[in-house]
Amino acid sequence: MSGVRSWVVRRLLLGLGQTAAVVLLVFALTEALPGDAAVVLAGDQPDPDRIAAIREAMELDRPAHERLLDWAAGLLHGDFGTSLVSDRPVSTYLADGFGPTLLLAGLTVALLVPTGVGLGVLAARHEGRFVDRLVSSTTLGVYAVPEFAFGVLLITVFALRLGWLPPTAVGYGTDLLGHPAALVLPVVVLLSRPVCSLARLVRAGMIDALDSPYVAHARRYGLSGVRLRYAHALPNAVAPAAQQLARTIDWLLGGVIVVEALFVIPGLGTVLINAVAERDVPVVQGLAVVFGLSTVVLNLGADLVTHRLTPRAGVAA
Amino acid sequence: MRSRAALGVLVMGVPLALALLGPLFAGEPGPRAASFTLGNGHWLGTDFTGRDVGREILLGGRSVVLVALAATLLAYVVALPLGLIGALTHRTWLEELLMRPLDVLLAVPSLLMILLVASVLTPDATGLALLVALVNIPDAARIVRAAAAEAASRPAVEALRMQGETWWRMAVGYVGRSVARTLAADAGVRLTGVLYLVATAAFLGVGVAPDASDWAVMVDRNRTGLFVQPWAVVVPALLIVALTMGGNLLFDALLEKRRRV
Repeated sequence: MSGVRSWVVRRLLLGLGQTAAVVLLVFALTEALPGDAAVVLAGDQPDPDRIAAIREAMELDRPAHERLLDWAAGLLHGDFGTSLVSDRPVSTYLADGFGPTLLLAGLTVALLVPTGVGLGVLAARHEGRFVDRLVSSTTLGVYAVPEFAFGVLLITVFALRLGWLPPTAVGYGTDLLGHPAALVLPVVVLLSRPVCSLARLVRAGMIDALDSPYVAHARRYGLSGVRLRYAHALPNAVAPAAQQLARTIDWLLGGVIVVEALFVIPGLGTVLINAVAERDVPVVQGLAVVFGLSTVVLNLGADLVTHRLTPRAGVAA
Repeated sequence: MRSRAALGVLVMGVPLALALLGPLFAGEPGPRAASFTLGNGHWLGTDFTGRDVGREILLGGRSVVLVALAATLLAYVVALPLGLIGALTHRTWLEELLMRPLDVLLAVPSLLMILLVASVLTPDATGLALLVALVNIPDAARIVRAAAAEAASRPAVEALRMQGETWWRMAVGYVGRSVARTLAADAGVRLTGVLYLVATAAFLGVGVAPDASDWAVMVDRNRTGLFVQPWAVVVPALLIVALTMGGNLLFDALLEKRRRV
């Protein structure tokens, strides 16, 4: 028992360390600017007024550690600072982009588990035969394909040639739920990579589980194939997959940025890309903290769940 | 498995050959035509600035492939000594000091890290290679360490130590050699991951000029003309898909073979 508890404590400490590291890293990047940060950030419009405004807005005259402490203390209260470009608080940017991104990510995760597990079980049932070879090769191939290339090809086929779906979400604003047709392609593109990795893991786990003595025993009792697969083999096959589910969150965050850019969806990813293009450092910092912390928290949650499922496995921490 | 490797070679061969040999056949740039037109001696039409798409395709693969290769190599140059020292040292504090910061870095999504740096530094192609290498170091070092730790716990290493062999001889001569196969397989898989990151970063405008001859940039910039001149988008997108897909099929087949041996 004490072993389990100390593992949980160590994992929580690692999570805390990662949180602190994300905050530090994001802040350090503005400090890493060569020369005068305000001049660099002014970029294309280097007039003295703008430089002075940036210097004042970011309080560049104060020592770095003081600014770091202030900024970190602000984060605890949900105060992310103000944009250099529009003078609006960063939190309003976050609030505006939150809806579409959460909708996309939520829909994807909701569809990811049934599709990935379903494909994995399907391939495992037909191990070595045509269906398995087809599913395995497809999932292996699509797994590494960048979302933007895959997405643009889907747009060409389904929006351009067939005209079934809208090519982008332009004109729908943040009300995406009112236009479900515009959501189909983005969600399919977002699903492509995580589904493949999940299906491959479930397939491997399922094949092992179906070969195991306890399933053979259950078979001798005359249990039906469905009960055998879903009640006995599957629970043992999904434990390694649960761990992978957390890793796919990293991809999902990257994927959301690309998909929002590709389909012109006004979510957090689009806000981030615009802020990067305009060198709006406070907005970039705020978004990076939000993205980074969601990854840390979701990974922590997944590790704890996996540990609960397979206490023996000793997840690295 | 053999058929899958053959399929991988076939699918990856076309874009790879085009990327490496294409620039030799590209020839001189012709006069600029109107944007997004078809015909007029342009096989695949013209792009958003009126350049010949066929020529851009021939030129555009090199940057993606070379940046990805350089980044993979660089990641290993750093990860290899880190992982070997972490696995072979008997000082726990040194191992913790080397490996813990990497665990922490693993928490930051790769693309986010690249965008963060891009927001303050505007990297060029070299910068992009460095960045992609940087985000790959933690994971590569972990794999090196895991493989090396297994090799380092073998009786052979104990025997070498008792014979008074040098640390160098043990680390490079024995442990390094025994993990080489595992790492070669990992490098293949990592290369497809790196290709993904490099292409995606270029699509988002990191590390490339806005009018660069680069497949990913072509997909991004020619999207505005998708309805008039789809070839300028579809052909580079297909090439990127073939490159990553074929690579993954091939490297996985090689990995499988290794596992069975």
